[in-house]
Amino acid sequence: MGEAVIVVALLLVAVSATAAVAVRDPVRQSLVLAVLGVVLAVLFTVLQAPDVALSQLAVGSALTPLLLLLTVRKVKRRGRRRRENEP
Amino acid sequence: MNRRRTLLAVVEVAAWWAALGALWLVFVTVVDPLELAVGAGVAGVAALAARGARRAVAGW
Amino acid sequence: MNGWILAATAVLGAGVGATVWGVATGPLRRRVVAQNLSTALACPALLLLAQGYDRPAYVDLALVLALLGPVGTLVFARLLAGELAGDPPRARALTRSAAGLGAGVVLALCVAVGPSRALLKLLVVGVLLVGGNLLASRALSGGMAGARRG
Repeated sequence: MGEAVIVVALLLVAVSATAAVAVRDPVRQSLVLAVLGVVLAVLFTVLQAPDVALSQLAVGSALTPLLLLLTVRKVKRRGRRRRENEP
Repeated sequence: MNRRRTLLAVVEVAAWWAALGALWLVFVTVVDPLELAVGAGVAGVAALAARGARRAVAGW
Repeated sequence: MNGWILAATAVLGAGVGATVWGVATGPLRRRVVAQNLSTALACPALLLLAQGYDRPAYVDLALVLALLGPVGTLVFARLLAGELAGDPPRARALTRSAAGLGAGVVLALCVAVGPSRALLKLLVVGVLLVGGNLLASRALSGGMAGARRG
């Protein structure tokens, strides 16, 4: 009975990780990835590893989505500039 | 005028220091002299940073 | 397994599970709201787990999440402002109920902890949680629309 919370956390991680792979658009993928980071931190807490959860929270909740979104924006801008220059 | 401005700056940093030191004391698990010393030092650095940030945002 | 962990399991399964579903499907405005709600709901769950495991140090996790969750949502609100300006997300009832859940959990834990420094810490976490999430959802629903679009 005490393992119910571990089972729930594992299920959440499995579902959100599958969704992060299945979603194709990078912007939406970064949103799923932010949620996956939070859920992973909950899983680490449930498994009694709060130090790992703390670093996962610090990296996964704000930093990874920021880097992804900045990369997407830069790639889009470069593609637009190339399209303007070529024709 | 200049002395008045210095006094204001010192009062502001002291207020930040007191508030941030109180926050530190709320967050630590056990209050002992070492925690008090570390908290006072860190709150001093953070108070200077907070004044800098406030001046950068507010513009005065 | 005590009542606190049971409550945390319920919050995780129903609340965070629903936000995982919401963030994986649907239009962009629904996904950003679900991302905001996921941090607003995981933070009370972490607080309940800290009480259930009887480890006050675990409250630090909830503190970090209450601080960084709204920061993450503000990142999305700022960088997706162009996409979200067309149809801004409106989820006032959901945001309010999540904030109410967080406040209720914090109040219940305060009653269980009793007057001490731990109660002050819980109150700081609660204020950060509710205030941060209301601020983030306001930024999502158009508060940042006037911001510079770079």
